[in-house]
Amino acid sequence: MKSPIFFVLLMITLALLAWGTYQALVVAPPEATMGDAQRIFYYHVPAATAASILFWTNFLASVWYLWKRSPKADALAVAGAEVGVVFFGVVLISGPIWARYAWGTFWVWDARLTTSLILWLLYASYLVLRNSSETGSTSVLAASLAVFAAMDMPIVYMSNRWFRTNHPQPMIGTPNLNPEMQHVLLWNMLAFCMFALLIAWFRYELERTGQQINTLHIQKAARGNMSMAMIAPVMFLFAEDKLLHEKMVQHRYMVAGYTAVWTIYIGYLLFLFSKLQRLKREGAALGLGEDQHHLQ
Amino acid sequence: MSLSIAKLTAVNVRKDLRLEWRSRDVINSMLFFALLVVVIFSFAFEPTAEESRRMAGGLIWIAFLFSTTMALNQSWARELRNGVLDAYRVSPAPSEALFLGKCLANFLLVSLLECLMAPLFVLFYNLRSIGPYWELAVVFLLGTWALVVNGTFFAAMSIRTRNRELMLPLLLLPISIPAVNAMVTATTNVLTGEFPPVGQIKFLAVYCVVYTTVSFLLFDTVLNAE
Repeated sequence: MKSPIFFVLLMITLALLAWGTYQALVVAPPEATMGDAQRIFYYHVPAATAASILFWTNFLASVWYLWKRSPKADALAVAGAEVGVVFFGVVLISGPIWARYAWGTFWVWDARLTTSLILWLLYASYLVLRNSSETGSTSVLAASLAVFAAMDMPIVYMSNRWFRTNHPQPMIGTPNLNPEMQHVLLWNMLAFCMFALLIAWFRYELERTGQQINTLHIQKAARGNMSMAMIAPVMFLFAEDKLLHEKMVQHRYMVAGYTAVWTIYIGYLLFLFSKLQRLKREGAALGLGEDQHHLQ
Repeated sequence: MSLSIAKLTAVNVRKDLRLEWRSRDVINSMLFFALLVVVIFSFAFEPTAEESRRMAGGLIWIAFLFSTTMALNQSWARELRNGVLDAYRVSPAPSEALFLGKCLANFLLVSLLECLMAPLFVLFYNLRSIGPYWELAVVFLLGTWALVVNGTFFAAMSIRTRNRELMLPLLLLPISIPAVNAMVTATTNVLTGEFPPVGQIKFLAVYCVVYTTVSFLLFDTVLNAE
């Protein structure tokens, strides 16, 4: 039922990602002091925004689940947490690569970085719990933990008041940000948020499928997954084109950032794909394949 | 109704303490573990008196945090034997009383551990506080409650999972990081006498209130999770 919308959205997202990356690598002016190394800005910030949207989704879905015990809410919570952890992982990997250039060190224990790391750890522990609890009670336990994790966030922010921060302040809508850069950032924001929501949607469907073991859904979703994994090589074409003209060091950081980030995204998509195969086999073993044949 | 919750809580606390008094499983292993941590740390860092004042905050709380984890696992594992936990679940007694009873019993045990360990820290690390001692007492009361209330909740959660004891630190430590941060900073501030720990004490109070509330609201759900 969702296939046409999903497909259209996938196409739009692919176009936006390509367009956003083109803008980030070619159109956006190089920053005065950091040059190309600053281009991390165009995927680091959007990934953080996307992750926070997903964590909020996880919290709201968990509360909804505790209240109504709807399996859909549970699937949504899983999707939010897992895809959120991946996107936040991207933030935590790409940040230090930039910091090595800008600050001369990969990591400092300052307010923003510590908060982000704790946030990531919290949701990672949520995923660990989901993977190790007995089937019956998983959803309830995980939903309770999600409420705890969400409560922790304002507290973590509070506890960080006694740290100073080196992290750049939010600049969207302020005169500190070059309007051209802001324009590029907003395109990328849109692209990566759609990318995240689309993966989350896919993960949600996968979870629902896991809940129902319904092969028909799996096959539809599989088509979306494969084409998403195709995006990565396109990115590197743009990166190589720029390599010919600009300073080598800044380039190296830029390339390192892109490589790391897309390795994570693709790795995660491959993981989802293997999960999909497993569910497919499981469904076939249960004789759902014949059912589906009958349906077609 | 409130009277009956108080009574039930008292019954639970008494039962836990009596069990502990008869077996002394938990307090012995906690004490020995904390002692080992203290000794190993002092070999690893060989601090002078001045240095030890700076790092003692972290050391004390790491020792207590890990030994608390041991106690918490035991406190619920005990209830699994002979299906006691299932008996609780079908009994009409409110589960809040059970939770509060466990929290208080664990709190008393960990406080006892802290009192017994304090002389050892003085002995091994030449520790003397420059700030006032009552501040230290407030920090320890709040800090211990923060560890115990979350710990009791997550221990109840982790015995419902496949790899019981292994799960507790994985769930408890991330949630406790802000509290541990505040406890360590406050303790170090009092010991070195450089800054007043008022900010951290307020923070710990807020943390305790928030998590005590959330734990009480969700405990029934976790206990009856199917």
